[in-house]
Amino acid sequence: MFDAFPYDAWSEEIADFWTFGGGGSTGTWILTALGFSVMLIAFVWFVIMENGKLERQAQALRASGALDRPSTGA
Amino acid sequence: MLSSLVPSLLAQASPEELEERISLDSQILTEQFYFWTVVIMWLIHVGFMAYEGGAARRKNIMSTAMKNILVIAVVTPTFYYFGWYIYGCFQEGWPKSGHASPDALEGFCGLTAPWSAAMGPNLQDHVSAVFFLAFLLFSWTTGSIMSGAVIERIRLSAFLILTATLGSAVWILDAAWGWSSGGWLTTRFGFHDAIASGVVHGVAGLFALGVLINLGPRIGKYTAEGMTRTFRPHNTHLTLMGLMLIFTGFYGFYAACLVIQSTAFPGWLNIYGSPTTLGAIAFVITIGFAGGFTGGWFASNGNPFWTVSGGLAGVIAVSAGADVYHPSLAYLLSISGGMVAVWSGTYIEKKLRLDDAVGAVAVHGVCGFYGVLLVGIFAGGYPTGINNVESSLGGQLMGILAFIPLAFLPGYGISWVLKKFNLLRVPAEVELEGLDMAEFGMDFYPEFERVPEIVVEPDGREVDGAPILLDSYWATNGRAPAPTAGERS
Repeated sequence: MFDAFPYDAWSEEIADFWTFGGGGSTGTWILTALGFSVMLIAFVWFVIMENGKLERQAQALRASGALDRPSTGA
Repeated sequence: MLSSLVPSLLAQASPEELEERISLDSQILTEQFYFWTVVIMWLIHVGFMAYEGGAARRKNIMSTAMKNILVIAVVTPTFYYFGWYIYGCFQEGWPKSGHASPDALEGFCGLTAPWSAAMGPNLQDHVSAVFFLAFLLFSWTTGSIMSGAVIERIRLSAFLILTATLGSAVWILDAAWGWSSGGWLTTRFGFHDAIASGVVHGVAGLFALGVLINLGPRIGKYTAEGMTRTFRPHNTHLTLMGLMLIFTGFYGFYAACLVIQSTAFPGWLNIYGSPTTLGAIAFVITIGFAGGFTGGWFASNGNPFWTVSGGLAGVIAVSAGADVYHPSLAYLLSISGGMVAVWSGTYIEKKLRLDDAVGAVAVHGVCGFYGVLLVGIFAGGYPTGINNVESSLGGQLMGILAFIPLAFLPGYGISWVLKKFNLLRVPAEVELEGLDMAEFGMDFYPEFERVPEIVVEPDGREVDGAPILLDSYWATNGRAPAPTAGERS
């Protein structure tokens, strides 16, 4: 039953098959470069996005006066 | 039906075919073994999230938990794109000849590049991908160790940059040097750190120390005289449960540190290629917890947080020699590890005035290197690695001397640069209000009434925290407190 399937030949042919090509092929190089670039962009975007949120909130809190030192009066 | 079919198929097979099938069975066993260690190791990260989320104040719950979740988002790709390559190719210091690095595992360097055939669906390689995944989980763990130390004031984005550096460059370089069969520290000096006391815990703790120096304490942590205040965790039960989950995950971590050789005696090797057994290390980890809890309990006079942290410290202290220690020796050493964690944690908080919110530097950093040192004293002479170089105090010191600058300098240097660009710490106003409102715009216990924040003064009095935090804020004119001193009025 198991011998009916050409396992050996089949496994040899796609031993290192990947989407867009085998290991070390042009396709995998391009995919690696794309993935690496997106990873770097994500890091930059993490910084920019958070910085905007924090600065807006800090500005709003300062403007609200909630954290101001109370005046001692004279 | 299938069970009756298999013997008849085997009976028809030639010796060569049988050998091939046994080899395939062995590979698939290895594949399954590492796969399940990865599943168990996920619990470490569930645990870190619960641990730190419980230790945070109510206003910082989600920002704390999100750090642990996004560790996975950044360490995974960075480790895939360059971390694994560092492990494969830097075992002798620097790559000698690119992908043909003459390491102990011939050709391993070439298998670790992200475009390698070993990293994709490859029907002739059942092992490389799961081996990579096990190391990836080690990297998440290393990145998460720093996480708890810096909660409630670090920027999420700064943390992600730091954790990617730690998880995908710093620790994996020290692992290449001292936690691989071809690492120069082991092949030349007999450096022995079987279950990563130093290479994971010590290095991560020291990296965190470098970050803490630049980050500074939470607002209000220290009085003007430099005395220590305590912030109450919002949910101690969650913290303790998180630690217990970390402990559960540690069994997967320990198992994944071994190499399974199902067709050759003795079946198990440590990371250096020296024989051991899975039972031996499981015994040491279990009795290590017992000893660590005991040491932590007595050294802290029964403090719940330090008792459970002591268990972790105890295990870390005996991990380096877990493949060779007698259980009684492991019990005694882990008791000392639990005590060392409490004493060093208290010293770091009260004398050095470094605000390590969960004691990570003490538990992981101090006890990690303590564990490395213990091997030189209690397992000296034990042959390590493919060259059978004897473990020794000198060899262990050589490893510590290599790892201290490797761990501390990147943590200090990168956090220093982030601080210069004002990207390390959240604005003081946001810290006072709580990070969750700024990051996510909501309170994560919406049905629960807000109550005054409680701060414990150095003399033990529990007081309303708001006036104290505002005083500290005004004393520094809204800037972050000085790294190692109390606020000045």
